[in-house]
Amino acid sequence: MRQFARVGITLSLIAAVAATALALVNAVTAPKIAAYELQVIQNALVEVSGGFEIADSREETQESGVLEVHTLLDPDGEVAGYILQLNGAGYGGAMTIMAGYRANGEVIDARLLANSETPGLGKKAESASYMEKFQGTGGDTPVPVKRDQLEKSDADSVSGSTVTFTGVARTIALGSDYVKQLGGE
Amino acid sequence: MANERKQVLTRGIFKENPVFILMLGLCPTLGVTTQVINGLGMGAAVIFVLVFSNIFVSLLKNIIPNSVRIPSYIVIIAAFVTIVEMVMHAFAPAIYESLGIFLPLIVVNCIILGRAEAFANKNSLTDSFLDAIGMGVGFTLAVTLIALIREVFGAGTITLIPMGSFSGVLEIPLLYTYPVRIFSLAAGALLLMGYLKAFFEWTANRKRG
Repeated sequence: MRQFARVGITLSLIAAVAATALALVNAVTAPKIAAYELQVIQNALVEVSGGFEIADSREETQESGVLEVHTLLDPDGEVAGYILQLNGAGYGGAMTIMAGYRANGEVIDARLLANSETPGLGKKAESASYMEKFQGTGGDTPVPVKRDQLEKSDADSVSGSTVTFTGVARTIALGSDYVKQLGGE
Repeated sequence: MANERKQVLTRGIFKENPVFILMLGLCPTLGVTTQVINGLGMGAAVIFVLVFSNIFVSLLKNIIPNSVRIPSYIVIIAAFVTIVEMVMHAFAPAIYESLGIFLPLIVVNCIILGRAEAFANKNSLTDSFLDAIGMGVGFTLAVTLIALIREVFGAGTITLIPMGSFSGVLEIPLLYTYPVRIFSLAAGALLLMGYLKAFFEWTANRKRG
């Protein structure tokens, strides 16, 4: 019986000390982490806004693949478009994409946020220049979702990471359709 | 005695290198070694956890009852891993993101539990500390070497810490345009690991004569 008590007490003491240490470290790091995450989102929002004002309102949706909707306003206060935070699937699993659209569904710009793509291949989609091939599509011309819909130089740039490209493109196209359905109200 | 101490410190680097000789901790070794900075970051995290878990296991070796020693070690190790995780997330978010799942998985890294069980719970505080430093540095050198080879050939770049005007990425002219893609993929990591293991075996055997 005494042996049991000793084992139990030792183990709980170790766990208690560990938990206290973790609580202390968490108190220091948690605000920094939250600030960093917010900064990443804010930067991406500004980058894909195309110079329009981002309205304060932010909606979370139940729509599959669309996480959040931010409204973009032109200087007159009219709805100019939307920024969507989208969920897609790439080569390395789930990825988050932030994309700005005009009210007719045309892509302003997009950014790949959290992802687990392969460095040197799919990870290249994180760069701003990667998204240039989607700019201006989604309105009159469809979002390119297959390699053969791309210009030669763009098609070459996604070779070796076709799955990532398809994942990004389909997600952006889904967002475009979602924006069209919102209809700029 | 001083010589023995030196042995404890240095054997982890080459003679008993955890990756190439003991073949421990291969999962993160293959997983994170796509960029040099990841190798260094992973190495730093492992050294930190290894040093503190070895110290605490050695200090508590007479207090922890034998029947619950493994759960106790795991709690100690997990606590330090979580500390590293939170600190990295707050102060080095880029490395935190690229290490991804492998950072929390240090908890089950065989090097750390292995050193606690095989060394720290039988030896003095000083020896355990030296052992942790030696093994940690050995691991760091191994993952950084693998990452360097994989990144240079697989992507044609060397990614280090951005400082001032230096963006942190060195580009190697010819390889950047025509990289050997297989090196950045998992298959390339396994192939390379095999070659390096063979090389280390060869040099070790040659020394023995």
